[in-house]
Amino acid sequence: MTLMKRRTFGKLVLGTGVAAPFSFVRSAIAQPKPGDELIVGIWGGAQERIVREFVEPALVEKYGCKVSYVLGGTGERRARAYAERGRPSFDVIYLNIYESRQAVTDGVTQAPTDAVENAQYLYPLAKMGGYGVAFNPATIIYKTDKASAPITSWKDLFNDEWKGRFAVPQVPGMEGMAALLMLAKTYGGDEFNIDVGFDKLKELKPFAAVQTSAENAWQMFEQDIADITVEFGSLANIAKDSTLPGITIADPTEGICAAMNVACITTGTQNQVLAEEWINLHLSEPCMQAYMRQTYYSPTVNNVVIPDDLKDKILTPEQMERLVSFDWEHIASKQSEWSSRFTREIAG
Amino acid sequence: MVQPLHAGNRRVISQRNIGRGLATPVTLVLIAAFAVPMAVVMLLSLHGYSDPFGPLFRTPSAAQYATVLGDFFYLKVVLETLLLAGGVTVVSVLLGYPLALWLVSVPARWRALAFVVILIPLLTNVVVRSLGIVLLLAPDGILNGVLGWFGIGPFRGMLYNYGAVCVALAQVFMPYVVLALYDVLQGTSPRVHEAAESLGASPSMVFWTVRFPMALPGLRAGIVVVFLMASTAYVSATILGGGRVLTSGMLVYREAIVNLNYPVAAALTLVMTLASLGFSGVVLLVFRRLTPWVNNAGGQGRAAATLPALPIALVRTMDVVGPILSKVLLAAAILLLLLPLYLVVMQSFNDVPQASSAKFMGFTLKWYQLVLENGNYTAAFLNSVRLAIGSTLVALAVSIPAAFALVRFRFPGISGLAVFWALPLSLPGVAIGVGMLQLLSIFFRLPPFLGLLAVHVVIVIPFCISLLVASVMQLDRSQEEAAASLGANAVQRFFRIILPGLAPGIAAASIMAFLTSFGEVTVTSFLTTARMTTLPVRIYADSTFMLEPTIHAVSAMTMLLTLIALFVLNKFLRLDRLYAR
Repeated sequence: MTLMKRRTFGKLVLGTGVAAPFSFVRSAIAQPKPGDELIVGIWGGAQERIVREFVEPALVEKYGCKVSYVLGGTGERRARAYAERGRPSFDVIYLNIYESRQAVTDGVTQAPTDAVENAQYLYPLAKMGGYGVAFNPATIIYKTDKASAPITSWKDLFNDEWKGRFAVPQVPGMEGMAALLMLAKTYGGDEFNIDVGFDKLKELKPFAAVQTSAENAWQMFEQDIADITVEFGSLANIAKDSTLPGITIADPTEGICAAMNVACITTGTQNQVLAEEWINLHLSEPCMQAYMRQTYYSPTVNNVVIPDDLKDKILTPEQMERLVSFDWEHIASKQSEWSSRFTREIAG
Repeated sequence: MVQPLHAGNRRVISQRNIGRGLATPVTLVLIAAFAVPMAVVMLLSLHGYSDPFGPLFRTPSAAQYATVLGDFFYLKVVLETLLLAGGVTVVSVLLGYPLALWLVSVPARWRALAFVVILIPLLTNVVVRSLGIVLLLAPDGILNGVLGWFGIGPFRGMLYNYGAVCVALAQVFMPYVVLALYDVLQGTSPRVHEAAESLGASPSMVFWTVRFPMALPGLRAGIVVVFLMASTAYVSATILGGGRVLTSGMLVYREAIVNLNYPVAAALTLVMTLASLGFSGVVLLVFRRLTPWVNNAGGQGRAAATLPALPIALVRTMDVVGPILSKVLLAAAILLLLLPLYLVVMQSFNDVPQASSAKFMGFTLKWYQLVLENGNYTAAFLNSVRLAIGSTLVALAVSIPAAFALVRFRFPGISGLAVFWALPLSLPGVAIGVGMLQLLSIFFRLPPFLGLLAVHVVIVIPFCISLLVASVMQLDRSQEEAAASLGANAVQRFFRIILPGLAPGIAAASIMAFLTSFGEVTVTSFLTTARMTTLPVRIYADSTFMLEPTIHAVSAMTMLLTLIALFVLNKFLRLDRLYAR
């Protein structure tokens, strides 16, 4: 009898692993024990409040674990995750649509799998990086009384009444990217031919201001510094409900730019099951409803009911079709170059 | 009688060794917690291309420096940042000087209350203070409102430009000038002024020949600190610049954090640091020429010998205009410090969803309710206090000997060490954060508190040394010599003569160190962990989603707590005595 060589044995084991059913492989992942701690990196404010109320208690009750949060901006979170690739201090981090795609490519976070039960209900667009948890598309926002006619196209940005009143959103930043990409698309370019977008943005000069966040944009609207900009529809709806009732959230014929918050499980996490269940709970009905109600973020799963009173503020499944998506991985790779170009050619 | 040569040598060597011994603790702390992360930044700057996952040690390349120095855009940003920092320094000195003079002249029993004017702003988060400035300068803000009563304005262009950033940074950094000046001003005997007056000097003449020269050591410390901090500012420049103002600190942040392009960010940091240090060097040289008596042991010298004489017409004009001008500047300083805070408190009761909304939509207590129901704010507040106390104590322990080494001992390398000790101030916080992050993730992991403590100690050490050096210079050495002649040994002299004399300087350094650590957000946000979040990072975290007025409520509560703490302290410790020499 010939003894099996070590290399042959290794190949067999590897082959078995590859060929094994998914459930068989998963059984090797350590199951959570009471007292385990899940570390979640997320934005503060309402986002933190919602997950604390609608995700954490259910997870803690099920596994007897503890949840801790690292709060802050996406930049710091991403920088830390990249520095810790393979031995992360986070288990789950929240990123935006293009950062999440790039993080998977770079091996910092995991691609989505069916291990997250509610992932089966995700819209295809929400399952391309990590797990999309909220759609938050960006579009044109303007003061209703300053428009001679409702805005129906990205081309309307060039109407005379907006001359010198456009607060250009900064690149980098999802809103700035949306303006750049949608102008490029409207005028025959795309993410691979972004010169068109830059040229059209330049044509919009002089700008009323360069806005760096929704907060900043509403402030400029309120203080009559600007009348029109590109921002997240959800945040615009919140402003419309309170301090800025006189604004309109445009629905241009060319579509609105997809944007999304994405929950990502880090590569090398020691709490795989807890992380998957965390995201599962985030995609559940109660959490999605809370997001819709409190932040007007649109659900990324197709199995939740959109309340009637929110239908004019939340994207319906039909409206999902009108979301314009791009090659986000390519955009991530160009972020640095476009950011520098924006500073020199547009903001300067 | 001729001293034996070897005995003289022994004395020189001994003096040198004492100096070196005093300089060692701070040097060791900075080597461990600052030089090593900075070496990482240096190595990153020598990377030929950006690769976040590549090895730290690579074949050195000057490509990044060529990029930065060969690009007019980068150079323009560096120059504009230096000019902005210069403007902030001028405004801070112009407004800070009358404020420091006022603090000195306030009756002792009101002094603690007067200190609240500068301490409360320092304890308020920089994001919140910047928002206060937005509300102040907005087209429908308070300033335009007041001008409107006189039929002037409204001015719509006061926000989102270099002027707005300059005002905001002066609001943030002016207290540092005041604290530095206060320490030396209140250490000056009133008899000096009386002597000048008795010799017939007019108020302007007294100011130019006595008050101003005597305050120069404090002014020097204040100018260097404010310039270096303003040249690396990030948060206020972002909020008030409205995307139009770009500082090198913002550029470093963008390259390092948004673009993950560490090599360019590192090279830019080092270029900027060299430029800032060049400025500091010029300031130190100018002040050395202006204060020849400072390095003259025993305090004997030719005070004001190098200040030019003023034309008599100017002196007479200033005698008339000076009192009014100083009152106007004092009022402007107090208003600039307190008005934004008043607006912050008002906003904490405003029923609007966004912190920056200027409209008052209705009274509410819900922001306070949200803060109090969310225990994380309390935990974060306690973490900040622990961290601030810890870093203040460590920084003082190493900075006091360092200050003596700088002022009283001469040994080879002391000038280089002085530059090294001031370096953390001249680097953008984000660079220190990147260096530390790389280091902690590559080589080892410290307990979160220790890691943060190390970074905070590094950040506050330059302030402590700068203030303590000014205090040590002011010490009257004749008292020590008298004590020595009466048989007091070194320990007795330290505790009975030197320490009481240094108390105001130590108090000022402690306050500044505590406040700097308490408010630090840029570096801390990189190193914060789930169990170790500080209050400023918590507020900054909230601001990254949507700024709710909860941040105003937290700030208002911090102000109230500070007020209570100061009054309680004043009752038991008599703060006026703490500050009085």
